Amino acid sequence: MVVTQVPIGRVTRCSTRGFVGAVRLPEPDIPAFGGFCVVETQHGQARVIGLIYDLSIEDDELARQMASAGDLSREQLADAQTNRQVPLEFSALTVGFAREGTYHYTLPPQPPLTLAEVYPLDVNEVHSFTERFDFLPLIFGADRLPVDDLLAAALKQASLTYPEKQRLPYLVQAGRECARFMAADLNRLENLIRSLQT
Amino acid sequence: MTDASDLDSYFGERQGETPLGTVVGGSLSAGLRVKLDPHLSIERLAVGRYVVIQGQSRRTFFGIITDILLDAANPDLPRRPPDPSDSFSAEVYRGSVAYGAMQVTPMLVLDEGAQEPRPIKTIPAHFSRVHEATAADVERVFGREDQSHFFIGSPLDMELVQVNLDLGRFVARSSGVFGKSGTGKSFITRTILAGIVKSGLASSLVFDMHNDYGWAVKGEGQHQYKGLRQLFPDGRVNVVTLDEETSRARGSKIDRILKIGYEQIEPEDVEMLAGLMGLSDIQTGALYYLRRRLGPAWIAKLLEEEQAGEELQELVLSGRILPGTLDAIQRKFESFFRRMGFLVPGKGDEAVDDIFNRLNLGTSIVLEFGRYGNTLAAYVLVANYLTRRIHARYVDRMNRHAGGQADEPRPLMIVIEEAHKFLDPQIAGHTIFGNIARELRKYNVTLLIVDQRPSGIDDEVMSQIGTRVTCLLDNEADIRAVFSGVSGAGALREVLARLDTRQQALIMGHAVPMPVVVRTRDYDQSFYSAIGVVDGEERKARAKRGAETLFGD
Ligand SMILES: Nc1ncnc2c1ncn2[C@@H]1O[C@H](COP(=O)(O)OP(=O)(O)OP(=O)(O)O)[C@@H](O)[C@H]1O
Ligand SMILES: [Mg+2]
Repeated sequence: MVVTQVPIGRVTRCSTRGFVGAVRLPEPDIPAFGGFCVVETQHGQARVIGLIYDLSIEDDELARQMASAGDLSREQLADAQTNRQVPLEFSALTVGFAREGTYHYTLPPQPPLTLAEVYPLDVNEVHSFTERFDFLPLIFGADRLPVDDLLAAALKQASLTYPEKQRLPYLVQAGRECARFMAADLNRLENLIRSLQT
Repeated sequence: MTDASDLDSYFGERQGETPLGTVVGGSLSAGLRVKLDPHLSIERLAVGRYVVIQGQSRRTFFGIITDILLDAANPDLPRRPPDPSDSFSAEVYRGSVAYGAMQVTPMLVLDEGAQEPRPIKTIPAHFSRVHEATAADVERVFGREDQSHFFIGSPLDMELVQVNLDLGRFVARSSGVFGKSGTGKSFITRTILAGIVKSGLASSLVFDMHNDYGWAVKGEGQHQYKGLRQLFPDGRVNVVTLDEETSRARGSKIDRILKIGYEQIEPEDVEMLAGLMGLSDIQTGALYYLRRRLGPAWIAKLLEEEQAGEELQELVLSGRILPGTLDAIQRKFESFFRRMGFLVPGKGDEAVDDIFNRLNLGTSIVLEFGRYGNTLAAYVLVANYLTRRIHARYVDRMNRHAGGQADEPRPLMIVIEEAHKFLDPQIAGHTIFGNIARELRKYNVTLLIVDQRPSGIDDEVMSQIGTRVTCLLDNEADIRAVFSGVSGAGALREVLARLDTRQQALIMGHAVPMPVVVRTRDYDQSFYSAIGVVDGEERKARAKRGAETLFGD
């Protein structure tokens, strides 16, 4: 598949379970929490699909100095936030991979290589990848992540790939799938259902 | 993977049809628990419907839904349901944490390659898929209507499917029709009798208490229905009446009048009436003594129609009978026998032999009680009187047949209403009806008992009832009674308790491959024609059609 989109960054660290990439601000497509992204692996034979669960900006000496300097002029602020090259780091959880036109909802055999380009997952692909809810187990299986928020964000994003009328039914179905994992904890399930609705 | 094609050829293609759910637990004795598919609306289901379960190892099971329930994967859910205004949450919960389930009693299994389903001895494996049975499935199970399989009704929601009673099996053992008053017992019984007469598999002797069987049966309002004598005008059904006047007034065709001579009555016949006549044990015991001492004319003598003053005096003087006892017997005989116009002084005639011969020739007999139908004592007396004697002739004929000296007598089914009066536990042990029920078909005689209070019938007799046709019953004890001795049918109680108040029945036992709830066939013009009756109008129309085809171009 020929990727025509603009990359959002490059891989800096990775494992089969996930990868971390760096973005240079400003970029047109700032990755968002719960967004799907994709990166090639195995010399292009497969593409790993990730779900962005964290975005962070490392602090540096200059930023610390400016923050403690008190009043900042409008120009100073604009210069620091948009013009300066502050590395933005994003972390993605692997939720599956694509090979020869089919999706596999398991971990890929190999992680992507460092500096491989990370792209946002195209809307049509988000749609077809999330048609089945088989990617949920990998999210539920991730520890030390804000799993519930991540689920809500990812599912809502997936629902937006449907025509307006079909969004709610999709979310209901998604909620049911999640309920299978959360049946033992009704509080958690209630929270998830609430965030799916808002 | 199972190759489904063989199964499909029997139970029809299942592809594209969404299953109702999957088997998640259960046992052979308690039935299967089926978790419903979340996409299915539980409200679409109904107890009494059939399901087909695709087992592993290429077996197909056939079962009946006996209960429907709501369940939750989390026991806390019922205590904290979603906010009623939050339909989204409700939707999510439904079909995930909260789900529907049903209880299915498996009934039959079809082995791979087998033609006929047979009763189950095992259950389908975990997670077998459960489908709603199609009309074709049900049809396969109940077979086709033919000479010995009689169309009795259709399963609920499957008007086009016929449930056919295996009449051979129906008459082979005693059977029962039960249900509250007005639920359609007499109509079903008449329908079945029509089938039996048509099939020629047995003769019937119907003790018709309320003019429900012979001629011009009254229904709701002014409506009149054809009796068996009208359905079979060719002599296959005879009407014998105890009350000529009433029968004639009703316009009934009469083939014979039954009178019973006093001298034909034995103490055993009267003993059955002890309760109804208010005879004490001592008085009942005395009857046998009186019969011995007074001879065949004992009743006439007790009624003092024959000179017997001295004879009676002597009995008292001899000390064998107390004056009070004799007085009481005479008083009670007086008030009973005088009211029964069909009891006549003297030796009576050969009515019993005549009736036996007719039955044995294959003629069914409806015995109309006319106005005596309102007197239970008359009903009990006559039913016992005839049955004992006819049965004795059957026993004799059967024994001679065994010795190679006679033909086998034609199977006979004796139909009694208010059966508990004949079969209550106090008396069933020593009455002729109790004996017939217990001896099975040893002498080619069986019973068809029609009753609204099955709990009043002796347990042992009930357990011998091969086929039970049960309309709505709401008394707990009655419900228990109709299921007594039916293995694993406890689950069907729910089904029974939910029948309509009329024209619906649960049929189980010998004559059906599995229990089935039917809406019984309408007893109407189309039924008459199916039985083969050609009405005046219809005959004219046919003649006209015939003429047209004959002369048309
Ligand atoms: N198959 C049927 N076809 C037409 N009408 C029926 C049928 N079954 C029942 N009915 C209607 O229901 C009424 C009651 O039926 P039926 O007399 O058979 O009840 P039952 O159970 O014998 O009552 P009871 O206990 O009073 O004798 C009939 O008068 C008739 O109107
Ligand atoms: Mg009746």
